[in-house]
Amino acid sequence: MEIYLPVAELSVNWLIMIGLGLGVGFLSGMFGVGGGFLMTPLLVFAGIPSTVAVATTLSHVTASSMSGALAQWRKRAIDFVMAGVMLTGGLAGTLFGVWLFALMRRQGQMDLIVSLSYVVMLGGIGIIMLRESLATLKAYRSGNRTSAQPVNRAWIHGLPLKMRFRQSRLYISVIPPLAIGFVIGALSAIMGVGGGFIIVPAMIYLLRMPTNVVMGTSLVQIIAVTAITTVLQATSNYAVDIVLALLLITGGVVGAQLGVRAGAKLRGEQLRLLMAIVVLVVAIALLWQLVARPADVYSLALGAT
Amino acid sequence: MKRLLFAVLMLVALPVQAQDLVSGISQDIIEITSSYTGTDIVVFGAIARIDAPQNRNIVVVVRGPDTPMTVRRRDRVAGVWVNRDAAKFEGLPGYYYLASTEPVDRIAPPRALARYGVGIHYLVPSAVGSHHDARPFREAALRHLQKSGLYTEAPGTIDFLSETLFRTRVPVPAGVARGQYNVEVYLFRDGEVVSAQSTPLFVDQTGLERRLFNLAHHAPFTYGLITVAMAMLLGWISSVLLRRTV
Repeated sequence: MEIYLPVAELSVNWLIMIGLGLGVGFLSGMFGVGGGFLMTPLLVFAGIPSTVAVATTLSHVTASSMSGALAQWRKRAIDFVMAGVMLTGGLAGTLFGVWLFALMRRQGQMDLIVSLSYVVMLGGIGIIMLRESLATLKAYRSGNRTSAQPVNRAWIHGLPLKMRFRQSRLYISVIPPLAIGFVIGALSAIMGVGGGFIIVPAMIYLLRMPTNVVMGTSLVQIIAVTAITTVLQATSNYAVDIVLALLLITGGVVGAQLGVRAGAKLRGEQLRLLMAIVVLVVAIALLWQLVARPADVYSLALGAT
Repeated sequence: MKRLLFAVLMLVALPVQAQDLVSGISQDIIEITSSYTGTDIVVFGAIARIDAPQNRNIVVVVRGPDTPMTVRRRDRVAGVWVNRDAAKFEGLPGYYYLASTEPVDRIAPPRALARYGVGIHYLVPSAVGSHHDARPFREAALRHLQKSGLYTEAPGTIDFLSETLFRTRVPVPAGVARGQYNVEVYLFRDGEVVSAQSTPLFVDQTGLERRLFNLAHHAPFTYGLITVAMAMLLGWISSVLLRRTV
C-alpha cells in the first residue's frame, strides 16, 4: 500500500492519499470551491512537507475544478467575460504573492502569515455566510419565500469603468472583479489554494451575480490561477510532486463529480449553510493552533532555507 | 543473503591478527524504487583476539550527508505564538545511527567521543548562526531528530557470533535523504580508538523515480506544464466518463 514520492522523497500510503482526494473533491464539487484550504492542512498533517503540500495541492484543485467546470459548462452556467476580467487581476496578484512568499520565508514568518490570513478570512467569510443563510432559512420556514434583504452595496455602482456582463445580467465597474482577482492570485501563491472559498462568497455578496452562474465562473477562474501557480511553484521551488498529484487527482475528480450531483439535490440556502459551517470549523481549528501553547516551542527545518 | 554469507566466511578465513579490525556491509548501494519503504543493511566484521575482552568495545556509526538545519523558537506575542529567535546549524548529518556494545558514555571520555563524533550528543556542528545562546537550540534539534527517527542510538545491539566475529543490523528508513552515507566501525580499547574503518554507502533513486526527480529539477518548466496538462486531462476524462454512467 506504500508508494514512494520522487520529489517529496518519502513513502506514503497511496490508499489514504486517494481517499483524501476523494473527500476533498466531493466538497469541491458540491460547493464550487477548489478545496485547497482543506487539502493543504490535511497533507501537512499526513506528514508531507509543507512546501510540497502547498505546491501539489494546486494541481489537485486544477483537476477537480476542471471536472466541475465541464459539468457547469454543459449547463451554460459560466460567465467567461467575468472570469477573464478577474484573471487579469489574478495575474498581477500571483506575481505579488510570489514576491511576498519569498520575503516572508526569509523572515521565518511564513507559517504565521498563512495561518493568520486563513483565520481572518475564513472567520470573516464564515460568519457572514452563516448569518445570511440562517436568516434566509428562517424566512423560508416562516412562509416567506423571498430571500433575506440584500445589504445595500450602492458604492459598487458608483465606481467608474462600467462594463456589461451579459451572462451574469450585470452592468458594473470592472474594478471590484479586478480587485477580487488580485487578492485570489496573491492567496494562491502564498497558501496553495485556488481561492474558491473567497471568490464564491465575493461573487454572491459583493458582485451580486446570480448563484447559478457563480459556481461555473469561479471554477474557470480557479483552473487558470492554479495552473499558472503550479508552473511557477515547479520552476521556483521544485516542490510539485507529480506522483502525489496523480493520487490526489484520481480521488479528486471522482469525488468532484459525485459532489456536483449531491449539490444539485440541496437547496442553495442549505448549501451555503453547510459551507459556512465547514469554513468556520477550519478557521477555529487554525485559530486554536495559533493561541494554544505548542507542545514544543522549538521547531526544526531541514535543508537550506 | 548468499552474498552476505560468502562475505562472512571470507572474513572468518582472514588472518585477523595482522589487523585489529576488518569490517564490511551487506550492500553498498540502496536503490529507492516506488515500493521503497525502508530497508536494513547488515554491518559485520572481525576483531583480533585479545586477553581482556571486557575493556574492548565496538561502535558502528552510519552517517548521512550533511544537512543544513534551522531551529526556531516560538514566543507568545499578543496571545499568539510567533517564531521569534532562530539558530542555523551546518555540518550536522541528515541521518545518524549508532550501534554499540555499551552506552557510549561508558565506552570513552567525552573528549574522545567528540573527536570522532561518536554519540548523538557529541556531534558538533561545523558552523552555528545565532544571536543567542545556541545550546538550547542545538538540544531542541537533536530532540526533534531523535523523535522523527533520523537520529538513533542503539547500545547493546551488536551481536557477537564468536569471540571475534560481530554483526549488527542498521535500518535505513523511507524518509532519509539521498546521497553518500558513511558506515564507520570503531574499535575502542580502554577508552581509546585503536582501530577504525569507514565504508561508503550510496542511497539513490532509480528507474522512473529518478527520471521524474531529474525532470523536476532540470526541466522544471516542462515538468510543471506536464503536471498541469495531466490534471486537466484527468478532470476532463472523469467528467466525460461519469456523465455517461448517470
